[in-house]
Amino acid sequence: MVPIFFAYFALVSIVAGLLTVSLRNPVHCGIALLALLGHVAGLFVLLHAEFVAVVQIIIYAGAILILYLFVLMLLNLKTEERYFHRRHAWYITGVGALTVELLMVLLASRFSGAKGPATVAAVEEIGNSTAIGILMFSDYLLPFEIVGVFLLGAIVGAIVLAKTPSPADLSGDER
Amino acid sequence: MFDLIVTLIPVFPLLAVLANGLNVMLGHRYSHEIAHRLAWGSVLLSFLCSVWVLGQTLGHPEPRTVVAYRWFFGADLTVNLSFLIDPLTCIMLLVVTGVGFLIHVYSVGYMHGEEGFTRFFAYMNLFMVSMLLLVMGSNYVVLFIGWEGVGLCSYLLIGYYYDRVSAAKAATKAFVVNRIGDAGFLLAIFLVFANFGTLEYTEIFARAGQLDSAAAFSIAICLLIGAVGKSAQLPLHTWLPDAMEGPTPVSALIHAATMVTAGVYMVVRNHAIYDLAPDALLIVGVVGGVTALFAATIGLVQTDIKRVLAYSTVSQLGFMFLACGVGAYVAAIFHLVTHAFFKALLFLSAGSVIHALSGEQDIRRMGGLWSKIPKTHGVFLVGTAAIAGFPFLSGWWSKDEILGHAFVHGHYVLWALGATAAFCTAFYMSRLLYVTFYGESRVAHEVEHHIHESPNVMVYPLLVLAFLSVVGGLIGVIPGGLENGWFHQFLQPVVRSAGAGGEAAHEEGHLLVYILMAVTTLIGVAGWFTAHYFYKLKPEQPDLLMNRMKGAYTLILNKYWVDEAYDKAFVEPGKAVGRSFDKADTAGIDRVVVAVEQVTDLSAAGSTWVEKHVIYGGLNVTGYANHLAARVLRRLQSGLVHHYAAILVAGLVVLVNLIVLFLWLGGAS
Amino acid sequence: MTIVSTADLLAILPELLVMAGGCLVLVLDPLTAKDRKDWLAYFSLAVLGAAFVVGYWFMGALTGSPRPAFSGLYVLDAYGAFWKLLLILVSGLVILLAKAHLKLEEIDLPEFYAFILLSLSGMMVMVSGTDLLVIYLGLELMSLSLYVMAGFKRYAPRSLEAAAKYFILGSFSSGILLYGISLLFGRTGSTTLAGIRDGIAGLPPGDPILLMAMGLLVVGFGFKVAAVPFHMWTPDVYEGSPTSVTAYMAVASKAASFAAFLRVFLEALGGIKESWRMLLVAVCIATMVLGNVVAIVQTNIKRMLAYSSIAHAGYALIGLVVADAAGTASVMLYLAIYAFMNLGAFAVVTMLRRGGLEGDEIDDFTGLARRNKWAALVMLLFMFSLAGIPPTAGFIAKFYIFMAAVGANMTGLAVIAVVFAAISAYFYLRVVMVMYMKEPGETAGTPGYDVRVVASPAAIAVLLVAALGVLILGVFPDPLIQAAQSAILPLK
Repeated sequence: MVPIFFAYFALVSIVAGLLTVSLRNPVHCGIALLALLGHVAGLFVLLHAEFVAVVQIIIYAGAILILYLFVLMLLNLKTEERYFHRRHAWYITGVGALTVELLMVLLASRFSGAKGPATVAAVEEIGNSTAIGILMFSDYLLPFEIVGVFLLGAIVGAIVLAKTPSPADLSGDER
Repeated sequence: MFDLIVTLIPVFPLLAVLANGLNVMLGHRYSHEIAHRLAWGSVLLSFLCSVWVLGQTLGHPEPRTVVAYRWFFGADLTVNLSFLIDPLTCIMLLVVTGVGFLIHVYSVGYMHGEEGFTRFFAYMNLFMVSMLLLVMGSNYVVLFIGWEGVGLCSYLLIGYYYDRVSAAKAATKAFVVNRIGDAGFLLAIFLVFANFGTLEYTEIFARAGQLDSAAAFSIAICLLIGAVGKSAQLPLHTWLPDAMEGPTPVSALIHAATMVTAGVYMVVRNHAIYDLAPDALLIVGVVGGVTALFAATIGLVQTDIKRVLAYSTVSQLGFMFLACGVGAYVAAIFHLVTHAFFKALLFLSAGSVIHALSGEQDIRRMGGLWSKIPKTHGVFLVGTAAIAGFPFLSGWWSKDEILGHAFVHGHYVLWALGATAAFCTAFYMSRLLYVTFYGESRVAHEVEHHIHESPNVMVYPLLVLAFLSVVGGLIGVIPGGLENGWFHQFLQPVVRSAGAGGEAAHEEGHLLVYILMAVTTLIGVAGWFTAHYFYKLKPEQPDLLMNRMKGAYTLILNKYWVDEAYDKAFVEPGKAVGRSFDKADTAGIDRVVVAVEQVTDLSAAGSTWVEKHVIYGGLNVTGYANHLAARVLRRLQSGLVHHYAAILVAGLVVLVNLIVLFLWLGGAS
Repeated sequence: MTIVSTADLLAILPELLVMAGGCLVLVLDPLTAKDRKDWLAYFSLAVLGAAFVVGYWFMGALTGSPRPAFSGLYVLDAYGAFWKLLLILVSGLVILLAKAHLKLEEIDLPEFYAFILLSLSGMMVMVSGTDLLVIYLGLELMSLSLYVMAGFKRYAPRSLEAAAKYFILGSFSSGILLYGISLLFGRTGSTTLAGIRDGIAGLPPGDPILLMAMGLLVVGFGFKVAAVPFHMWTPDVYEGSPTSVTAYMAVASKAASFAAFLRVFLEALGGIKESWRMLLVAVCIATMVLGNVVAIVQTNIKRMLAYSSIAHAGYALIGLVVADAAGTASVMLYLAIYAFMNLGAFAVVTMLRRGGLEGDEIDDFTGLARRNKWAALVMLLFMFSLAGIPPTAGFIAKFYIFMAAVGANMTGLAVIAVVFAAISAYFYLRVVMVMYMKEPGETAGTPGYDVRVVASPAAIAVLLVAALGVLILGVFPDPLIQAAQSAILPLK
């Protein structure tokens, strides 16, 4: 049963990912991205990483994507969409070529190989939210705090850049 | 005491640089009088110290090392700012400080009233410091610092007349060509370090024997590239004639007497390595011989007084390389010394001519000057005789010695090249003399009545140099006789390991040597007589000949089109490659960008409408968000970003390919 | 599971100081009167001073005895301390430079100082992290602040363009880096450098996933140090950003990225040295060639310096490729010296005004020696140093790095580097030539017309430090060489 689900989630993720970068209408792109995120969350569930799966849905699908859509709606889509994805053909070809190569390499490497310590049982043990919470506030406290500073910087940065320039600023050069 | 005085030699000019440099930067706190006194005074002090050091060295010729300070040292590398005092250094010190001093004094008169007088002397003294480091350094790094330093000063001084576009171009050319040579030199330093683990001369030359011949050859060739760049030998000779854009004292000091001979000095200094690589040594000789003739032929038809002398310098440097190439290191240094005397003399008297003619340099607009500036004429005559190889003058001794060595050691082709070059030298120098000083005056009228002899401050150095040009060769004869004079006895310990090569010439029997001397003397006379015939007896002949041999004449007049060939072969393709890379890097999709810009403008209008009607009417938060997004997106859509990201991915693909092809498949097989 | 101890907190004391300082600047900003905003700069400088003192103390106390902290995610060692001191110094100089420059450019955003401090804290985390996750977060914190600062000239589309480009491409490269990290984790079961090293030791040689992960890390770090072919962003971003920010990117962000690059590749991937060496040699040569050749045809000084910084990344990569004690020390030495000369060159650009604009064309330097001798003189010094002409510090830097290559039997690489270093003289010298060998234009439309040098005391101080650094390190390089050699990574 698991392999079937895996195949489903993985294939849909790939298709949705390709659609995200190749569709012409930004809103459609957003929806494709939503599908992608949902199916990746499914992969996480298969791995018994429920916490990550839920976080994926709540944060990416729930918050970030909605914000994207808000912004897209506020822009004038009628004129935007005409040129939004124009010259992607060769760029996507490049990415495609890379993907094929990666796949070749990964398949040829006999993926089964040596297995890491991360068995299903182990993931179940360290993947639940209690375990993650404890780790995050003990061993991984430092990265956690750095993320805090990082988010502060992001918020302030967004405000600074979006703040309407004062008249004094606007009188400067427009090169 | 000894250490202190040795250290002081470069310190004196350095102090003068600091004083004069600060004076320039702080807005001329003191007069030109003080500036030039500081400048030549410091060089005079260095000269006196050098004489003292020579006195100390006469007693014990074994090299002594003086450490000024420990410069940098790592785990396995120690480099000190230290000086090596041996006979070779002493000779170079005397030439550099002695001739340098005379040229400084001369410059006081020549540069009088020029804008940037103090700056000029600051550069000149900086040059002295670098040149002294170059000849005194006891390891390759100090040599290299001096090497780069002299190049730098040469650059600054060639570009001294900044109002001439050609001067700036010539300066850049000189620097870049020199840098190509320097790259070779730097590699040689690294190779030396890789082979010996040290950069000190004494240790390296003591252990030179352990070098295998391939390593010796590659080091020798890399060193040669450096020497060829600095000494303007083929194929890196093109910068020196252009360097004549600088003031004449600079041409005399840097581009004739001292800096350009640094390559010869370096080859002689490294003779222990060259002796291990006979093939490389042969290449040195061939480069020298071919350059000597090549430059001499160009000198035949040049019409700018300084350019004739410039090609003559290239040619004479070729003689010195030829001497090194046949193993006659002492002869090379001997010629270096005499050449410093007579070439400085020629340049300075040419400067005196130019000074008298208010800046005229074209010999076709000179003539008949001998009676108007008699002193200059006199010293120029002496210089011409010395370089052309008039018997018993300095150039005669040294040039004969080089040609003698070439012949005796069986390098008959090199001898023939040198002899032909000597003929050309005698011819073009006599031609220069005739066209400039004799015959009808062709001087422009407005210049004519300004003609005046130079002030004494310029004439006295000329007289001293003229004296040296006459008697300077005697140090190679007295007291031991031909090729066994004081000079040779003094330098012999330095090149002792050269073994038989250094001394074979006179052992072959004096008869052959005398015959060779007679032959070269005759060649010199023939050169003079040809010029006499063309420019005195049959003044119409040159034009006739010119017409008859139009092709050859044009070829030579255009310096064999080497400059143009380099432009076509290197400079233009280089720039083209740069431009095309640049295009690929930035503007390759210009057209697309323009198209996208137009669309962007439309969208900007659109988003402005949104801003007006939606945002400012709506929530501030969404307003911010939209504003940010609009501004950012506007630029995103320029297409460039996608383009860049694509290149990044392309790079990744290349890397993945490298991994797959070489590492993984290679490792698996 | 371990609980954080006081020793751990002490280990990140300089980082904590800088982070807290950054946050405090944000708090203090609204509390300061409009005409007193300079105090925020002074406050930031004081914070940096305190961090420097602590860092210096660490450096002295730590030589030869690294102390892990935060259960192996972080380390307190001389290597990190060396880079931290350099980065703090550079940040201080940039703040001084920006104080005057922001006014000239009419950028009324005291948040600048906060972002410098935040960015610096990210860099400090990068150079001391021993866990790929921590290094990645430090790198992101650094980059995020730089993305924002690139767009600080909000009225200039070019500046916003630079910010957006940098952001998009930076995120893209971060994604690649993360992919590499995840592959490494998948193969070795660890994200700490020591854990990865042990994991690699247990893998068969030539493991494809491992090689792929290594390739992705090369791309991620190559982007940050602006190595070809991951350099595309550099000229545009350097040109568009406010010049003081450009200086910060070119100097500090490059140094921090190299520090992390070195640590990750030597400590974690040291076991597959031969594999990445081959890739990096190719990258290194491409970087030197492209950087130097394209710089020749630039007409904008900031773009020229951008390509020059690409070329310098190529030289510094030699030290990484060499991958021995001499190589590591020479990279540290190189970037420390590079910081002085490059910062100095950018500082001169910030002071040049053409009309009301910044004089960032090479033509604007025309006849500068006649307008302002001192500015021309220091620029000459920096150009010579960048070209590697003795006795400036640039020569020492190049000498050491090329020497390291020859010492490791990579003479071919050294030959290429020396040749392209010689070519680089051409474009550096062009700046000197227009400054010294041309007259400034007197009429509108001629090069050098209406250019003046606006020198504030702070900017002069920066120039003085940079110029003295270039000169003193050229003549007395020994203390720095000793410091670098005593702070190299223990090679395994």
